[in-house]
Amino acid sequence: MMETIDLKRRRLMTSTAGVLAVTGFTATTGTTAFAQQAAPPEGSTPLPAYVGAKDADALIVHSNNTIELKREAMGTSAITPETRLYVRNNVAPPAAEILDDRDAWSVSVEGVGEPRSITLGELKTLGVASVAMVLQCSGNGRAYFDHSPSGTPWQVGAAGCVIWTGVPLRTVVDAMGGAAEGARFVTGTGGETIPAGLDPLDIMVERSVPIAEVDTILLAWEMNGEPITLAHGGPLRMVVPGFTGVNSIKYVKTIALTEAETEAAIQKTRYRIHPLGTKGDPSYPSVWEMQPKSWITAPLGDHESGRIQITGLAFGGINALEKVEVSIDDGETWTDATFVGPDLGRYAWRPFVVSADLKPGQYTLVSRATDSEGNQQPRDFEPNEAGYSHNGWQGPAVSLTVS
Amino acid sequence: MQLGKQVFLEAAEPQCAICHTLADAGSTAEIGPILDQLKPDAARTANAVRNGVGVMPAYADTLSDEQIVAVAAYVAQASGAN
Repeated sequence: MMETIDLKRRRLMTSTAGVLAVTGFTATTGTTAFAQQAAPPEGSTPLPAYVGAKDADALIVHSNNTIELKREAMGTSAITPETRLYVRNNVAPPAAEILDDRDAWSVSVEGVGEPRSITLGELKTLGVASVAMVLQCSGNGRAYFDHSPSGTPWQVGAAGCVIWTGVPLRTVVDAMGGAAEGARFVTGTGGETIPAGLDPLDIMVERSVPIAEVDTILLAWEMNGEPITLAHGGPLRMVVPGFTGVNSIKYVKTIALTEAETEAAIQKTRYRIHPLGTKGDPSYPSVWEMQPKSWITAPLGDHESGRIQITGLAFGGINALEKVEVSIDDGETWTDATFVGPDLGRYAWRPFVVSADLKPGQYTLVSRATDSEGNQQPRDFEPNEAGYSHNGWQGPAVSLTVS
Repeated sequence: MQLGKQVFLEAAEPQCAICHTLADAGSTAEIGPILDQLKPDAARTANAVRNGVGVMPAYADTLSDEQIVAVAAYVAQASGAN
């Protein structure tokens, strides 16, 4: 369920605890082609109008529907500001007019004892809860696969950690007579307009997740303390904590508890983890639960010798984060990192830090997260045709020259 | 180029222009990426047309190889990729 900050665990974290013992280290030279922060594909691609208020300097505009946060702009404060949060739209957003009267937005709730449409205004009367969670595109890390999969070559910036506020789906379902018999999935439908001439099943953003998620899903109207912007799914978004971004349906207009998964292509054939050279189909795993993941956020460039703070971000995915380790020699030796700042719950990420005294040389900085069930990031993530769910620790390595 | 433009505007089903903005073709849709900004080269375009990518369907079974090569070359040139 929704977790709150554990006050007993709140304390200021200092960065002196995890000083790396570098005596005896021989700086290594990595053998992989490091993908440091890439230059924007087209250096001057402007921000689309619907995200005009975003911080252009912090973002890489891959296309009008795919915008990535630069690694050096991720900060060390756990929460990602709206102005820097990545954008990934499968279909262009609806007209901004849908935000003119937020409380009038209506969502149809089906597959319950007493199905009906309900307005956002009425949803606000039923309950309120908040959850901090990592929102991450399934394609984040696609750039680190060697087989050049089609799709946006995201590095680490198709991810952010935000606080959503809304009403728990469980509360809404209970208020409408409970789940219909035989319901096995929660299926949410986005409010995008499908152009004439296209098969709606090919285009519509409709995703199904297991019914168990009804206990964690939030119907959110607020993000980071403000009404949700159009770019991030306002006026109402179905957010699924611990699941990849595609499952959190923007401008949600229908929520149905269904016996089967939706037949929409975005569920049936797309967003499936399938082997190289194959096509996606329902027999392959869908991109649902996220796995443990982490990356270094600083330093990213050259640095002078001496004391240095190596920072990064780590999360457990569907489970709580247990620990994160840092290596400065491409995984030869590891040091436990110290968490920075408050614990925002199992679905959030945690900034981490390791202090090191580095002598002149070449270093390869990597990090490795382990969740509460003992799942640990692998060195490499087995390739899949569409390039989803990369969580290897070697891909996002940082090559550092200390002089 | 003429064949490529014809595929873009007419032959492909659904037509490329229903979803993509490309100034040279006079299309303004934004379901998929704005090609004038994405500037995909011919190889990237041909791969996407053959196999599909994201919302975009695969056209390998509905367009001939000649048509695919032509539309890829057209998009690459018209978008300014080369």
